[in-house]
Amino acid sequence: MTALLAIVLSGLGTYFSRAVFIIALANRRIPSRLRLAMEYVGPSVMAALVMTMLISPQGEVMLGLPEGLALVTAALVAWRTRNHLLTIVLAMAVFWGLRALLG
Amino acid sequence: MNDTAPSIRQGITDALPIFLPAVPFTLVLGIAILESGLLPALGWSSSPIIFGGASQLTLITLLGDGVAVAAAVTATLIVNARHLMYSAAMAPTFQRQPAWFRWVGAYFLVDQVFALGMLRINDDPRSFRAYYLSVGITFWLCWVLGTAAALFIGPVIPASWGFGFAVPVMFMGLLVTGIDRWPKAVAALIAAMVTLLAAGLPHRAGLLVGALAGVLAGLLLERRR
Repeated sequence: MTALLAIVLSGLGTYFSRAVFIIALANRRIPSRLRLAMEYVGPSVMAALVMTMLISPQGEVMLGLPEGLALVTAALVAWRTRNHLLTIVLAMAVFWGLRALLG
Repeated sequence: MNDTAPSIRQGITDALPIFLPAVPFTLVLGIAILESGLLPALGWSSSPIIFGGASQLTLITLLGDGVAVAAAVTATLIVNARHLMYSAAMAPTFQRQPAWFRWVGAYFLVDQVFALGMLRINDDPRSFRAYYLSVGITFWLCWVLGTAAALFIGPVIPASWGFGFAVPVMFMGLLVTGIDRWPKAVAALIAAMVTLLAAGLPHRAGLLVGALAGVLAGLLLERRR
């Protein structure tokens, strides 16, 4: 039962974190400075997310040649083609190819 | 409703490839649920109730380790705190939407739905709403059904294949697609570097520190222009 309580509390907390500003700012004028800051949320959080996924639970950075070049490939393919599926397929091909080559 | 049909279709065709990298994540979560000692159905209920991969994984792992409810929930909410920023970033767009959509749409605001939604904020409100809901519901169905299936197939697929790396690859693609001027690229680079420097912080709090550094850098760059 305590596990269910923890799941429900986390669910409520998660919903709150997603809804709070959408609801609170629904009918208010949003200052232009804040509006500008919000444009930087996407790139900043996405970049931080990518890096977080390269960090082990022990806090070590796991970024070798296959990971690094695969991420560069993903960036280049996404920039040139804007095609999500092609980005994933080509970058993973580089990742697996390099891992196989480097053993 | 005919005029929203293209947005709905586009939402589905955008959401499906973006979900693909989440498939290994469902398997990781499935294995974590099975290893946690919780009832599998109870562990799975976190998918519709929380609807957030990283936070579910954190919570299930901690509960399996016997961590107290308050501490486990706190850690989960720290992992999820980036959604506060998503909520603020979406607020201007949601101002042009009906109230019901603000309450419902917030539930679907996971990383990928946020990233795809941000690419469409200049659409007219009706099209945006159709697109956002289409992406959100597609993603929700895939996640809820996928994590259920993972309870059965998760233990069969070896982790050494490295499918999990598709997740950062996918976010890298979404990151680049969202950059429309150079200060955003600089902000992303700074966010990435600060996150790496803060790698040792507990509960993956480095993510928040890095993200905030990126937003601040962006504001400073805008002030100079």
